[in-house]
Amino acid sequence: MAENNKMNLVWLELNGCSGNIISLLNGSEPSFQYMIMEMVNLVYDQALIPCEGERAMDVLFQVLDQEFILAVEGAVATKNNGRYQIIGRWRGTDITGMDALRILGERAVHVIAVGACATHGGVSAGSPNPTQCVSVQSLLNRKVINLPGCPCHPDWFLSTLEHLLNYGEPELDAEGRPVFLYGITIHDRCERRSYFDQGIFATALGEPFCMIRLGCKGPRTPIDCPIRKWNDRVSWPVQANTPCIGCSQFGFPDRMQPFVTFEISDAGQETPQVQAESGWGGQSNE
Amino acid sequence: MSERVIVNPVTRISGFMEIEAMVENHRVVDAKVKGLMFRGFELMLKGRNPFDAIYYSERICGICSTAHSLAAATALEHALGVIPTEQGRFLRDFMHGCEFLQNHLRHFYQFSVPDYVRMPEQCCTIYEIPYGDLRIPKEKNDLIVQHYFDSLNISREAHEMIAVLGGKAPHNHGVFVGGATTQITADKVVELKNMLVDAARFIDEVTIPDVGIIAQYYPEYYHNGKSYGNLLSYGCFDNYPSLGTLYLDPMISVGGEIRPLDKSRIIEEIDYSWYTDQSDRYSPMETVPIDNMNKPDAYSFVKSVKAENLPFECGPLARQWLTGEYRHGISTMDRTVARIYEAKKITEILRTLLDNMDLNAASPGSFEIPDSSEGAGLIDTTRGALGHWLKIENQLLSFYQVITPSVWNLSSRGNDGTPGTGEKALIGTEIQDEDNPVELARIMRSFDPCVSCATHVYYPNKAPKFITIVP
Repeated sequence: MAENNKMNLVWLELNGCSGNIISLLNGSEPSFQYMIMEMVNLVYDQALIPCEGERAMDVLFQVLDQEFILAVEGAVATKNNGRYQIIGRWRGTDITGMDALRILGERAVHVIAVGACATHGGVSAGSPNPTQCVSVQSLLNRKVINLPGCPCHPDWFLSTLEHLLNYGEPELDAEGRPVFLYGITIHDRCERRSYFDQGIFATALGEPFCMIRLGCKGPRTPIDCPIRKWNDRVSWPVQANTPCIGCSQFGFPDRMQPFVTFEISDAGQETPQVQAESGWGGQSNE
Repeated sequence: MSERVIVNPVTRISGFMEIEAMVENHRVVDAKVKGLMFRGFELMLKGRNPFDAIYYSERICGICSTAHSLAAATALEHALGVIPTEQGRFLRDFMHGCEFLQNHLRHFYQFSVPDYVRMPEQCCTIYEIPYGDLRIPKEKNDLIVQHYFDSLNISREAHEMIAVLGGKAPHNHGVFVGGATTQITADKVVELKNMLVDAARFIDEVTIPDVGIIAQYYPEYYHNGKSYGNLLSYGCFDNYPSLGTLYLDPMISVGGEIRPLDKSRIIEEIDYSWYTDQSDRYSPMETVPIDNMNKPDAYSFVKSVKAENLPFECGPLARQWLTGEYRHGISTMDRTVARIYEAKKITEILRTLLDNMDLNAASPGSFEIPDSSEGAGLIDTTRGALGHWLKIENQLLSFYQVITPSVWNLSSRGNDGTPGTGEKALIGTEIQDEDNPVELARIMRSFDPCVSCATHVYYPNKAPKFITIVP
């Protein structure tokens, strides 16, 4: 292990799209480079580690001797004893993602579930859930910090990491989400909120008004996208003239559908009915 | 006497892969390429609202998500009878082009460079164990390491350009039926131009010299990793009403002869993969086969895909060869070099698209879903030829088929027993050290494989063993 005093970080990739490590590479301030130079000793990530095969697996499991934080992206594929996702071969045996999570998750100082697939199955567990994907929490009998989103914003992960390293565990809500990030809904801080309050609604993509009637899930989606924005704070889905699809809700994706609809505007209902029909309600897929 | 060599995991790719090679007298005599992850998007998309295919299917891949949103939107337009505006195509193709820059730079620096360059051990444990067979002198080595980190700013900005028009990346919102959801304004134009100039300068002044250094010290990689030499593209930045084709039209090269692609002659074969269906050979719109591990000859979850009954290679080298812009050879290093030359080409195309955008062009508006219809969206993306095929019944998706570039490049054997394109590239390779067979994964990485994309079903046939961890 590297000679430094930094906390070890293991990034474990399970059943998903690699979108969360890619999103982490998109970090600006703080950046990925800042993370590995100044914050933690990065031990393992399958997308970045130079060595391969058995030697890579050795690096991963050597960390069990030490203190480490475990970050997990992707869902746990449980079908057929987890054999729908093999992360590598070690000492002659295929290691499933499920095996690796159990082994590492029990020993880690903290476990952070990064992105929707890790926090509740996400898109990987979309109906009919062909691989029986479940959340990281459901495999581990311990506290897991949940950072839902598809993908997870690099700031959400890196600020949670900063909190853990220098201020202890952040205050979490009942679903394990840090309150300082997930405490206020998109709707409460939306740049188009004044149009909602005035009852001016977009009926087609491209109109600069409130997109409730195009299926926006902002009112029930607790996250800071309107003020943090994405990709070096340059934009976010509502600014791109599209509704929030609720990707940081635990019901994403199945209970957020349809993501975009042109049907609601025809009916001309009152807002509460619109809310019911646009399917905001879900808090859990599991 | 042949020896079985296994590499698992093949790191620095998207998804999980095993290479199994039979080696005799230091030479690969047979090879299998296996993916180790199942996702099953085709099953998940059935029954969903057709518009949701755009944002749902882009979650197939976190690196090339814009490509999936574009293929889905194109297939939906076909099904809905919608013709996107040219201005709308400029906007979304610009986003797609930025994904090429992001992907090609990250594939080169973060995924390929550690194959050839010694990473800084003192930084953190992940870089501590070197890859092996590292030959570049320290001064040049350390320069490329510096560029490994410098490149993060440029690939980050490539994603930022997508977000300017699409709200966020990965998993953008801006690509939609009819074009793109945003309008271009002067503030966005100048923002994009600035980032595009940064990227073009970096590729010219830094990346092209870097790939030249690597090629200089690893000359034999121009002689291994040869595929069949059959090349294919669905077309890329092509067929604009006013601008014509900025890159290439759908075409193939077979035995050195270049001709238009007949899209009706694409078929999948499943004799050597873990699926069964009424037929072991079908066109994409016919069926999505059911997984079945109880097939004696099957060994992979990746199907075999063919055009004109032949396996093909797709991706940057195929495109650069088909246009005549790069014809040095078909090999491991040629793939790596062509990817960088293509990145330069893409910056020029993006500038042309940007220069032809009208300020405040109309957004797509709203659309109605027919009771029943079908459509296909075939595009060339970062890694090669990507197809989405869909059917709509009762205004919902009733069928979805995805064939990704990595299915072309990682195909299992065809029904006639011919190895897939990637397997062909491995067979015949000289292995210096069977205990550290670095050649195998270097060859496979040159294809930029994405197992997250390619996997439809994987059923390993071995029962799990109990593992005791002794720290």
